[in-house]
Amino acid sequence: MKPQHALNFIFGIYIFIFLTYLFGPLIIMSITAFNSAEFPSITPWECFSWRWFQEGKIAYDGQHLAGLASDWRLHDGLIKSLIIGTGVVILAVPIGMAASIVLTQVHSRLRTIFYSVSIMPVLFPGVIIGISTVVLWDRIATIGGEGFIADIGRNGIFLTILGQTCFISTYCFLIFVARLQRFDQTQEEAALDLGASQTQVFFKILIPYLMPAIASSAVIAFLASFENYNTTVFSILSDQTLTTVIASKVRLGISPAISALALVIIALTLIAAISYEILRRREDRRKKERQDLLLFEQTKDSRLQKNEKKSFKIPKSVFVILFLMVVGIFSFNQLIKNNLYGPACVTAAEEAKKSKFSEQLKLLQQNQVSDDALQEGELGGNQDYGDIFGDPNLFKDFGGFD
Amino acid sequence: MNTFYKKNGPLISTYFIIAIVFWLVFLIIIPQLYMLDLSFRPNLPPLLRGGPDDVHTLVHYKHFIFGSETSQDNYNYVDIGVFFNTIITAIFVTIINLCFCYPIAFYMAKVANPKSARLLIVSLIIPFWINELLRSFALRILFAGEGVINNVLIGSGLIDSAINFIALDIALYTGLTYAYILLMIFPLYNAIESLDTNQLEAAKDLGSSTLRTHWRIVIPHAKAGIASGCTMVFMLTAGALATPVVLSSPNTYWFTQLIYQWFNMNDNWSRGSAYSILLLSVSVVFVLLMMRLFKVKIGEIIR
Amino acid sequence: MSADVELQNISVTFGNFYAAKNVSVKIREGEFFSFLGPSGCGKTTLLRAISGFLNPSEGKVLISGQDMAGIGPNKRPTSLIFQNLALFPLMSVSENIVFSLEVRGVGKLERQKRAEELLELIALSGQGDKKVHELSGGQRQRVAIARALAIEPEVLLLDEPLSALDLKLRQKMRTELRAIQKRVGITFIYITHDQGEALTMSDRVAVMNEGELEQVGLCDDVYDYPHTPFVATFVGENNAFYGKVTSVQNDLVNVESSGINFFAKAGKKDENSNHSFSSGDDVILFIRPESIFIKNDNNKLDNTFTAKVNTIEFEGNLKNIYLKMNSDMSLKFSVPNAVDTSELSNNTDVELTFSSQKAIVLPKGALAVD
Repeated sequence: MKPQHALNFIFGIYIFIFLTYLFGPLIIMSITAFNSAEFPSITPWECFSWRWFQEGKIAYDGQHLAGLASDWRLHDGLIKSLIIGTGVVILAVPIGMAASIVLTQVHSRLRTIFYSVSIMPVLFPGVIIGISTVVLWDRIATIGGEGFIADIGRNGIFLTILGQTCFISTYCFLIFVARLQRFDQTQEEAALDLGASQTQVFFKILIPYLMPAIASSAVIAFLASFENYNTTVFSILSDQTLTTVIASKVRLGISPAISALALVIIALTLIAAISYEILRRREDRRKKERQDLLLFEQTKDSRLQKNEKKSFKIPKSVFVILFLMVVGIFSFNQLIKNNLYGPACVTAAEEAKKSKFSEQLKLLQQNQVSDDALQEGELGGNQDYGDIFGDPNLFKDFGGFD
Repeated sequence: MNTFYKKNGPLISTYFIIAIVFWLVFLIIIPQLYMLDLSFRPNLPPLLRGGPDDVHTLVHYKHFIFGSETSQDNYNYVDIGVFFNTIITAIFVTIINLCFCYPIAFYMAKVANPKSARLLIVSLIIPFWINELLRSFALRILFAGEGVINNVLIGSGLIDSAINFIALDIALYTGLTYAYILLMIFPLYNAIESLDTNQLEAAKDLGSSTLRTHWRIVIPHAKAGIASGCTMVFMLTAGALATPVVLSSPNTYWFTQLIYQWFNMNDNWSRGSAYSILLLSVSVVFVLLMMRLFKVKIGEIIR
Repeated sequence: MSADVELQNISVTFGNFYAAKNVSVKIREGEFFSFLGPSGCGKTTLLRAISGFLNPSEGKVLISGQDMAGIGPNKRPTSLIFQNLALFPLMSVSENIVFSLEVRGVGKLERQKRAEELLELIALSGQGDKKVHELSGGQRQRVAIARALAIEPEVLLLDEPLSALDLKLRQKMRTELRAIQKRVGITFIYITHDQGEALTMSDRVAVMNEGELEQVGLCDDVYDYPHTPFVATFVGENNAFYGKVTSVQNDLVNVESSGINFFAKAGKKDENSNHSFSSGDDVILFIRPESIFIKNDNNKLDNTFTAKVNTIEFEGNLKNIYLKMNSDMSLKFSVPNAVDTSELSNNTDVELTFSSQKAIVLPKGALAVD
């Protein structure tokens, strides 16, 4: 083996391990979303089911474990997250754009100061931005007395939009700065010289040029807002966003419904990434074709014309999709063969658990654990969840602690 | 100012000025200054603010060092311990991330062909777009008592009973390393990518060993990227809240959790502010340290 | 419509640096006027002052006699063609061309009509829907011209627009530009560091150096009667012999340079008067390479001297011959390719001659170094 190959081989293994580290947990979490058991796991596999995407389940002891479709708190949080995300985009994109344009117009000393202040929010821990927003606006609300100012000063959604805008504007700012670095400023002068007013220059030359940056900063701003937790958890006050709902759910006990939610988000991300990549490649190809055409027209020299072979090449991605399909069909087959899919399986599992539960109840009673404690759910209280982990059986049988 | 108006026209100038002043002054500077001020004031109910009791005091900082007056200890061992534990862990996480990511970044930038490098970049970005909470949750599933890792270990007969990864903080440290790893890769990748490949070949041609080439050529070239990646990872790790919330054991605290407690559970906003200022100072010191250590400007750290 | 442009004592400073120093010139209506000078001489600064992108620190710009102070570039009757053309890459060719009409609120139909007219003018009919980057270099050049002409400006300013083109295209565009100027009949102010460009196209040129005007005049005047050593060496090529005046008879100056005596005319100080010299003055004598001949029975002029051939260089239509007269005097002269130079070879001594009428004497000063 040549040293170059050996090197590539080692790199290959390293990257495989790295990708496993990155993706492994996500894949396992995604799979747990389909396990009908109350605790998100793979190895004690109960049944394949969609219940965590739908209504969830009512446990045999009467507890309701909400699925994605039936969890009103998630829906409520999602709506608020969307509102906040929209608000942040509306504020942060224009702010970042204004700051980046002004950065090109100021010089030397002032420029350094301006740039440093603009990127400061990225260096602040998110919690601090959240806290400072809340304390300031609480003060403003107190001074403002009753009425409108007090209302917005204590409105979690408003404060969250402000707090997130503080640092998300910096992301937008950096995107715009990068794009503006490649801007040819003589274009602005040319437009002015041709009689455009400054406002017209802005709308007809600068904005069209910045359009890609506007689009990507809007997407980034929205995503950053959507998944922010550190700032939001302080500034949201008594409201809830999707992330704070998830956080409180995770803190109180882990449920496969969260896996299901994660899987939905992963799927959306994947679709977005793949379609972006396809669009980009198509754009590249088109650009290349245009360039070839231009070259050909300019030279008018048939020797440069490529002899395009018109053979159809199967894209590699087809093989990947085929492979995934085969794996999918095979595992689905296995599920059905072993009777691990469908309502019958779920009912059987519930029955088995119910009997096990009553056995355990008896056992507990023998051990003289107070009935009251069980019924009031003190064992499931949040201070104790660490201990619950010590006894996985107990945890599993009581389901989540929603 | 006059030329500014002239250059941009009245409408656009007004928009620029409003946007920038709103951002820099009302969103960045004033809230931070007010929080700084609040950290030097006693904890009062909102209505007493501005009254005669609202004086400057060091009580919150004293509390951080000496503990409450009723405590037996000379120093506030708990809070100081959490503080240093947070910083030291964050430093370790940063170093581990750097070591993990350097080979990957180098591979993407210089070894792989552009097409597979591109594919790798896209696939690295994907997990980054998944919420930090959910990524931590994925690890929690892995590390749970009845989780995949324990089941595999028990199944293969390596251990007899489940290991409590969460109580041992293994889950927390893994989660923190996992959470921000991509913020290390991309600055490194960008920095190494800009290195002229001919330099590597020249070094090889002159008989330099692989290790030496990296030490003398690649790393000095990539120092801005290293500084940038380290700063980002350290900042985010030290200021992390989501991962500790999901993965820390009940008896381990992250410093942000202390802040959270003072703030939300105990309703002591000025103490929460004081602790925030401490965290902020650490961040600032770290950035300055990085700038000094790697001799880079702040603009090179954040791009 | 065409306008004259007058610069009155224009100075432009950046900190302590004078980009332009006390420049006064009057550019006539309908004229093709060039500012010629090395890079960094301040010609672009002047152009920006005329178009309104910078305000002169001192002095006035008058267009059609009207003071332009406080009037922005978008309100001046000038159009500028940028060095990099500054076409708008996101717009189509016709959108580029009629941009000036669009911002003035001209209706869509009329714009379309005008775009077609202008496309025809620049021989790009039917290509209006293309994007700018789909055009070749020469086509882009023409689009930039059409765009600048669309609002029918009174003055067209051109900032070295040909510098990015290759030689053949550049030569073709020179003729084309001149033809366009004749056709539209407006004032063209052209900036270049290429003296060939300036001399072929312009009616008059202004030679600039280090922010100051060295000479303004007709092309052949500037070439034949340079006022300063800088102009003598920057415009075309010149042999410079440093020496001292030994005697003066009327217009004829006797200069002694490294032991050789030459006769030459006194150079002009300005359009109407000559420099006056007296014995002992430090001067430079200039003689153009094409005015020197090999001495023979047909060519016997009033200055003769001997020199040793150093190298012979072949330049297509011309042959350049480099010679050495003594340790610190060297010389170049050119003969048409048709002239037989077979008897010349390295280190042969040649007897050369030139007419005192073709040589000029100027006071000692800085040469153009290139």
